[in-house]
Amino acid sequence: MQNQPAARARALTKVYGDGDSRVVALSSVDVEFYSGRFTAIMGPSGSGKSTLMHCVAGLDAPTSGEVFLGDAELADMTDNQLTALRRDRVGFVFQAFNLLPTLTAWENITLPLDLAGREPDRELADAIVDAVGLRDRLHHRPAQLSGGQQQRVACARALITNPDVVFADEPTGALDSRSSADLLDLLRTSVDRFGRTVVMVTHEPAAAAYADRVLFLADGRLVDELTAPTADRVLDRMKHLERVAV
Amino acid sequence: MLRAMLRDLRAHKGRIAMTLVAIVLGVTFVVATLVISDSTAASFTGAGTRSDVDLAVRGPEEQPILTRADVDRLAGVPGVTGATGVLVARAAVVGTDGKIIPGRHATAGTGWDDTGRFALTEGRAPARGEAALSRSAASEAGLTPGDEARILLPGGRETRVVVAGTFDYRTLGVESVPEVAFAASAAGELLGDSYTRVELAAAPGTQVSAAVRQLTTAPGLTVSTGEELAAEARDEADSAARSTRESLLAFVAVALLVAMFVIANTFTMLVTQRVRQFALLRAVGASRRQVRRTVLLEAAALGFAGATVGVVAGVALGLLGMWAFTPADEPVTYAVSPLAVGIGYAVGIGVTAVAAWGASRRAAAVPPIAALRLDATSGGPGHRGGRVRAVAGAVLLLVGVLAVALLSGEGLSTTERVLCLAAGVVGWLGVLLLAPLLAAVVLRPVARLAGRRGGPVARLATRGAVRDPRRTAATSSALLVGLALVCAFATLGETMVSMSGAAVRTTVPADATILRSASGDDPLGADVLDRARATPGVDRVAADRYTLVGITHAGGTGRTSVSAIEPAGFTGVLTPRIVEGSGDLRRGVVVGTNEAAMLGVGLGDEVAFEFPGAPPVRQEIVGMIDTIEGQPLFYLDVDRAPAALRDRVTTVYAMGDARAALDAAFLHRPDVAVTDREGVLAEGIAEFQLLLSVMYAMFGAAIVIAVFGVINTLALSVIERSREVGVLRAVGATRRLVRRTVRLESIVICGYGGVLGIVVGLLFGAVMQHVMLGNPLFEFGAPMLVVVISLAGMVLVGVLSAMWPARRAAKTDVLTAVRAD
Ligand SMILES: Nc1ncnc2c1ncn2[C@@H]1O[C@H](COP(=O)(O)OP(=O)(O)OP(=O)(O)O)[C@@H](O)[C@H]1O
Ligand SMILES: [Mg+2]
Repeated sequence: MQNQPAARARALTKVYGDGDSRVVALSSVDVEFYSGRFTAIMGPSGSGKSTLMHCVAGLDAPTSGEVFLGDAELADMTDNQLTALRRDRVGFVFQAFNLLPTLTAWENITLPLDLAGREPDRELADAIVDAVGLRDRLHHRPAQLSGGQQQRVACARALITNPDVVFADEPTGALDSRSSADLLDLLRTSVDRFGRTVVMVTHEPAAAAYADRVLFLADGRLVDELTAPTADRVLDRMKHLERVAV
Repeated sequence: MLRAMLRDLRAHKGRIAMTLVAIVLGVTFVVATLVISDSTAASFTGAGTRSDVDLAVRGPEEQPILTRADVDRLAGVPGVTGATGVLVARAAVVGTDGKIIPGRHATAGTGWDDTGRFALTEGRAPARGEAALSRSAASEAGLTPGDEARILLPGGRETRVVVAGTFDYRTLGVESVPEVAFAASAAGELLGDSYTRVELAAAPGTQVSAAVRQLTTAPGLTVSTGEELAAEARDEADSAARSTRESLLAFVAVALLVAMFVIANTFTMLVTQRVRQFALLRAVGASRRQVRRTVLLEAAALGFAGATVGVVAGVALGLLGMWAFTPADEPVTYAVSPLAVGIGYAVGIGVTAVAAWGASRRAAAVPPIAALRLDATSGGPGHRGGRVRAVAGAVLLLVGVLAVALLSGEGLSTTERVLCLAAGVVGWLGVLLLAPLLAAVVLRPVARLAGRRGGPVARLATRGAVRDPRRTAATSSALLVGLALVCAFATLGETMVSMSGAAVRTTVPADATILRSASGDDPLGADVLDRARATPGVDRVAADRYTLVGITHAGGTGRTSVSAIEPAGFTGVLTPRIVEGSGDLRRGVVVGTNEAAMLGVGLGDEVAFEFPGAPPVRQEIVGMIDTIEGQPLFYLDVDRAPAALRDRVTTVYAMGDARAALDAAFLHRPDVAVTDREGVLAEGIAEFQLLLSVMYAMFGAAIVIAVFGVINTLALSVIERSREVGVLRAVGATRRLVRRTVRLESIVICGYGGVLGIVVGLLFGAVMQHVMLGNPLFEFGAPMLVVVISLAGMVLVGVLSAMWPARRAAKTDVLTAVRAD
């Protein structure tokens, strides 16, 4: 399993703007996200973490390089194909504003299936709803939920389609430590119990400690990697990185 | 503070542009309507009036009492260098169908002269055996110079002349416009020897006035100078202009109302969208007052800019409209009054400021904490205002409905009718105020159903529509107003047509052959009745002698319409439905039930008709019939009518198998049209339809503006929800699905406005027809065609208005969801 990447990128480069305002957000990044694993991405602000995730998830087009989800190359896809791919094979949790305010929690969770015209798999749905602990809140609108609950709804939505990869960009950024822990447990559970592949961007060493593997980015390059991380070891590496960067 | 705001504004150019567009559209519409109204009014003045005469001697009220001898006598006054008699007599041009063209023919014939009365537009002045025609008469009759024309003369004589040319007439003082001008040398023989006025030219520097006045002592004759006549014409034109402007005021009011909705709605949205911005400002220490002031200032600036563009565009559009819609042969004056420009600015700045005032209070009331809420735009404060509005709306609606219900009986007095109409308007205003609540009440179940049954498109679209009922209501209110007006008038029209059809159909037998004046208004010749009676195959005849007349009754005096008819014909030829009493005109008069109620008279009461130049005719009311406005309201025994009326036959009804014989008998009578019941009805309907279509056009313009309002709101809400669209796209919605969602939401909003507009329109139309036609409230004719077209039109409007916003939404970058704004 270890050798089967759910998603990978080769020589991934992303350049924003041109001339004076030219920013190289990613420069020739090679990366693989292994199936059934929880990978965390860390790095200083502006190092290209979000950009990497967007490119690998098919939300944004790289300037050059290749991105594969399973065997499919994203560069060859039309907008409709990319849309279907995002709907069926990828799940997202953003830092904030994940939900459609007019839909209830349950409707938000099942939205990707709804869009595909599919019925949710009852058993899986029950398991996910129980895992996120929102059974009694399913008919509430997002405005009636706390920030942590909203993020858990987003998480449930990301899991409902049985996606190949779940991407989460600072999903705990706006949460208190208690809600963060709940959410991270949830992601961990989805890897352990449901066999999902999770890629998460985070700033917090404690959050990264939930992962199986941590990748470190700096200035648009992969600079380091850590397996079986603990919060302390992650912190160490980060400090080291920042010293190098300065 | 101000700088922060300005920068914020600049950052949202799209929103600013939309708001400006709304203001510009609203102002354009109002100003264009005003310019058209002003120009229409002004077209009565100036064009075609003369003052190029030294003195004119005139009979009273255009009566042709001057003779050839008078003209000669005036010509002999020392200092007078020219005296031209203006001959006026009956003349009517025969059209291609062998019947005379409609018009006022009694004063349509005259003699050609060089006084400046005629301005040739084509051909040349007429010689003997020729005539010149007014441009409108020529086009009505389908004649051009060189054609031979048949012209009907006084006493039923007829002449054939060659059309030498066409003219525009230039009036002197107040006078009616002739249609046919014969060569001066032939005019006397053809038209007789009666002149309405003599125009005098005096040698320069001479004073002829005194001498002329000495000569014209006959009663009724007046002597006026050119300036006096011009002033008289101006006064007349002014009053015509005034009344035109007044009748166009209704359209201006509608334009204003619709413009206000569009502007207020858009500006409110602009502010609402920035709630988070305001909250942030408040959080960093801006006072409520500062926030409010900034919003107001911004409104004033936007209002001024929008109004300026709108005024310019409105003037251009108004002038263009005048130019496009005036028939080529009518003089047009283009007028732009300072008032129109002023009102344009007042609307642009005023409405924006008022909308901003409400919005700014709401913005200022935003708690700083709202800055931290993620979904700060929806919901929000302002619920108290909504409640006040809903209560006010409910009260108005209730009062309106109750009052209409109380006044729904038959036989309303004039005051009651006015009250009933006012109650209808009050109820309508109530609905407008209630619109947000209604939107919620009506659309929530729809959304619930769509949520349960429909797919994601239906769910998202209907939820989007109910998300902010106030906005949905405001968006659809402009549509509601325009559509309700169209439907109300259509209802009135439909009822009128079906009622007059029903009234004519009950009263006039289907197999009656009907003879009427081909000109429309004139009475038939005195011989027509006898000739009809004598035509083989005719067994019974009856003749209407229809006229408007003063009436005195126990409750006061007024005006009504009466037909003098043979008593035997009234019941033997016509088939009036007698509701009460008898139809025996030998014993007294018969009156329509509505009219009786209006006047407050009943069976056994006495009324007196005041025919001009005759003693009052006192009659007892012996019967009541079903009739409506436009039909005779009273029927009177012809033997009791004054002699003058007896010979003024307006319609002859002939029974018996004689249509062909009557057609033949009146084949060579261009003044008599032979038709039947359905022919009479069709003519009336055609005339009425024309009037209705003008109404439709005007209110249709309101709908067009309303449609722009819908586009505007949709586009703004799409911009506002770009994050949501981003999320939707990110989790797998195709562009097509986004497009379809926006389109469906638009259809739901327009459909809601459309259905409400149609319902309100039908109900208000019911009130209008009840008030104006005296018909029972719920026996109105529903204009099915208009309703169906409106419904289909609303769906189309929904699709069209969504086109651009939907495309814009579909283009939303997926990453919008993750990027901060
Ligand atoms: N749309 C854009 N246009 C121009 N430059 C951009 C854009 N998005 C990102 N960048 C730049 O690309 C670089 C990487 O950005 P990215 O958002 O990937 O950083 P990040 O690692 O996610 O930072 P953070 O931890 O602050 O979220 C930054 O220098 C940023 O300024
Ligand atoms: Mg980031």
